Amino acid sequence: MSGLKEKIEKLQERFDEAIEGITDEKALQEVRNLYLSRSRGSVSSLFGELKSLKPEEKPDAGKEINALKEYVQDKLQALQIQLSGPRAVEEMVDLTLPGEASYIGSPHPILIIQQEIENIFLSMGFSVEEGPEIETDYYNFEALNFPPHHPARDDWDTLYINDDFLLRTHTSPVQIRVMEKRKPPIRIITPGKVFRKESPDPTHLPMFYQVEGLVVDRGITFAHLKGTLESFLKILFHEKTKVRFRPSFFPFTEPSAEVDIGCTVCNREDSACRVCGGGGWIELLGSGMVDPQVLKNVNIDPEEYSGFAFGLGIDRAAMFLYQIPDLRYFYENDLRFIRQFLQK
Amino acid sequence: MKISIDWLKDFIDVELSTSRLIDTLNSIGMLIDSWEEQKGDIILELETYSNRPDTLGHIGVARELAVALDLPLKEQEWPLTEVDENSSENIDIEIFDDDLCPRYCGIVVKDVNVGPSPEWLARKIEAMGLSHINNVVDVSNYVLFATAQPIHMFDISKLSGKKIIVRKAKKGEAFRSLEGEDINLSPDMLVIADEQKPVALAGVIGGENSAVTETTRDILIESAHFNPVSVRKTGKKTGIQTDASYRFERGSDISFPPKAALMAASLLTQFGGKATKGIVDIYPKSRKNKTVMLRQRRVSEILGVDIRSDFIVETLSKLEFILEKKQQGVWQVQVPFFRIDIEREADLVEEIARFYGYENIPSVFPPLTAMEPPPDPKKRQIQKCRQALFHYGFDEVVNYSFADPENEEKLQSGRKAIAIRNPISTKASLLKTTLLEGLLENIAWNQNRGADGIHIFEVGKIYFWEDDACSEQMSLGMATAGYLGMNSWQEPPIQTNFFHLKGVCEAILSLLRYESVVFLAGKHPSLEKESALSILLKGKKIGCIGAVRRDICSSFSIREPVWAAELDLNGIFQKQPRPFEYIPVIKYPKVVRDISFIADRKISYQEIKQTLEELSIPNLERFELYDRFTGVSIPKEKVSLSFRFLYHHPQRTLLAEEVDGFQEKIIKTLSSKFGFQLREGGEN
Repeated sequence: MSGLKEKIEKLQERFDEAIEGITDEKALQEVRNLYLSRSRGSVSSLFGELKSLKPEEKPDAGKEINALKEYVQDKLQALQIQLSGPRAVEEMVDLTLPGEASYIGSPHPILIIQQEIENIFLSMGFSVEEGPEIETDYYNFEALNFPPHHPARDDWDTLYINDDFLLRTHTSPVQIRVMEKRKPPIRIITPGKVFRKESPDPTHLPMFYQVEGLVVDRGITFAHLKGTLESFLKILFHEKTKVRFRPSFFPFTEPSAEVDIGCTVCNREDSACRVCGGGGWIELLGSGMVDPQVLKNVNIDPEEYSGFAFGLGIDRAAMFLYQIPDLRYFYENDLRFIRQFLQK
Repeated sequence: MKISIDWLKDFIDVELSTSRLIDTLNSIGMLIDSWEEQKGDIILELETYSNRPDTLGHIGVARELAVALDLPLKEQEWPLTEVDENSSENIDIEIFDDDLCPRYCGIVVKDVNVGPSPEWLARKIEAMGLSHINNVVDVSNYVLFATAQPIHMFDISKLSGKKIIVRKAKKGEAFRSLEGEDINLSPDMLVIADEQKPVALAGVIGGENSAVTETTRDILIESAHFNPVSVRKTGKKTGIQTDASYRFERGSDISFPPKAALMAASLLTQFGGKATKGIVDIYPKSRKNKTVMLRQRRVSEILGVDIRSDFIVETLSKLEFILEKKQQGVWQVQVPFFRIDIEREADLVEEIARFYGYENIPSVFPPLTAMEPPPDPKKRQIQKCRQALFHYGFDEVVNYSFADPENEEKLQSGRKAIAIRNPISTKASLLKTTLLEGLLENIAWNQNRGADGIHIFEVGKIYFWEDDACSEQMSLGMATAGYLGMNSWQEPPIQTNFFHLKGVCEAILSLLRYESVVFLAGKHPSLEKESALSILLKGKKIGCIGAVRRDICSSFSIREPVWAAELDLNGIFQKQPRPFEYIPVIKYPKVVRDISFIADRKISYQEIKQTLEELSIPNLERFELYDRFTGVSIPKEKVSLSFRFLYHHPQRTLLAEEVDGFQEKIIKTLSSKFGFQLREGGEN
């Protein structure tokens, strides 16, 4: 043990000598290697000698070697700072040069808005439900109170796979599927892709995103429909956004209401507005009290329960939120378009 | 449909400004899409709903407006000049199928002078966007646009046997429409026939063989009611839609045909015609009005506001419903025939709400009475994937689900594509079986617009036949081409590469705790042979990664190279991830050992990794390959690999001898199994 102690002292002396007069980083590195290199450094190899000690001597010896190691490390670090001290003026970097930029990927704008819509409804106690995009006639039409051969089907231009399957024209089938599985109270939104037989033009697309909502419980009223949708639209658009409900027709709701918002571009003040056509209103949502027949179709008693439902095109909402003139932009996937929404 | 304000004034004395009128119509659910001034008249473009065929005529719109504005509807007189003959002596009408034609009325008008319409009639027809043809055709259209009841006029001299038979078409029967189009009739179609031949396709279009011409004198006016489904099916099958079929297929007012016939006859007598006496009205199963029970309590329950009973009674009565009070707040409501949409109590509630005013119903937030289920964990997993991709500098895209068969053929996903029976175009006639098509199109689009670094991904469904079922699977597609990152004055730009994309895949799978995934050399039809890997999870293929084949790139007009990967998210989520568990941070120092080997190039990293993992060395926290190089100092077939091993014991400081033992085992195993040699000075 005493032999080791001596060795430690000697090594420290040698080290002190070695670092005296060091003026450049290269010499410093050499000394560092000589003493601290993991396999061959003089300090490191002292740890190897612990093996030959009696077990009761080991802890103290270990402490001493560690102390030396720390001493050496501290000295070297101090010297390092000294050597790399204030640089000559000509080496000074211009600190106003741009910082290191990083390429952060951007979410797609439609999915940003979808997320925003989901968040609003989550805060109102809704859950998010999804379902298949290839549907049967039953879920897409019949359960929703579209009789076969009814002209109402013409308003939902449908893409068919065959006689049995079609591409869903709305996310309402998800509502049916949820009502089949669960008893009320139900408070859901159903976002997702929907399909129509429409050639793409600035205001029509063969595929777009929709979010629908459904609330079924005892005592749900038209006043609740109005309260929910008004709050939602004021959060999504602006707290001062004007909201108008007007009678409409959908096979799956009765009474039905179309929901308009005051034009986001002209604020209902420009009679030549290119967005609202001067009418001052933009048609945004379809809604209504769930038709009693739809409730019956899923074995919910319409005398006991009532509900409301609504549907909104996410693309269309995004169009008015950001004054995007052409819906097709969303599916061109031009990075100059998409990446703007990184900052959204 | 087009609504002329002048025409409305025939039925109601409305003196509102156009904008007030439009607002009033909107508030009761009659949406005006646009309007224009036309020769001093205002023409409104009214959006009509498929359940409200009664508003497909001016009287119907006037009726609604009268209730909204509390104005009376004006009665109109239809005087007739008659000859002293009964209609039934002039025409014999028989219905063979009273399901498809429940009612058929006819009246004959003789000695009509067919010629140009008078100014007042021509003006109305023009207002509807039609050109006026002659007074007889124009009268038909007048009645249709005034009342929504379609009328047809036959030249009675062309009807063999002066007979009308309403029957189904016979097999192989031929028919030429008055538009000159030959139509193949089938036995499910209802026709109007004389003794010998069909003379009209019921409710759809008249026949050339019986049409009124300049020389016609005596006219049979048809005013009927046809089964809506039958008219719709015939219209769809023949591809013919007329103003008449549009109304019949939505449902016409079964009580109205005699009145419409009289109206038409009265107008024809203005052109010299003389009507025969009485109307031949074949109506074998006379219908009763529908009745619906209405509870005041229910009205308030659905609308969320108390509605007074006198408001209910007054509104519905003005709308021509007949209310019979059964008890306090309960009525039996008789529905007028023109309101085919009213069948249940809920339908009446809507009527009350429309005229009460949606704006007068309060806005209330619905009370929360129960909790909804928590979010689907898969949704969060997908969010984690997206976050990782954004971090790696991938932009998100969304493409149509439709695929071009030519592209599907090129990409050969190996899945059987689902075809759309009535696609919007042949280029969009399949559903995508791989997300790659869209990603390659996006790369081409952006390269053509000057982008030199394109790193994109899409999370979406792919679709394919699985046996006889349509399968939908959530997939994650990724593609990368060109420069990585942003330009920097500190570092030169670097190109994306295979290992960048592989790193993304590994990061995603690790974030989802599927570290057990294995990358193995594999073939994929759309990837270059030498540069494709299959990704396996517990023995099941869940994805692939590699360089997109050169010929595919060129067919999409893309500059190579493009690296792409696709992960089957459904397949991944079906397997259980490693459960997440917290591991206490170890307070004891870790031991780090580096070793460099000279290894045979043929040995894959995957093999080495697997061997090292199988050694199950205790306290080996992890190992990493931190350097790989070839060069002058290394023999040609060899490569230098430097590994770093990190050891950690949770309860104590590891002794150097212990670690030495582990390292020895590693070196021994790698040298005996793969012939690795320790590099000179390789152990540190």
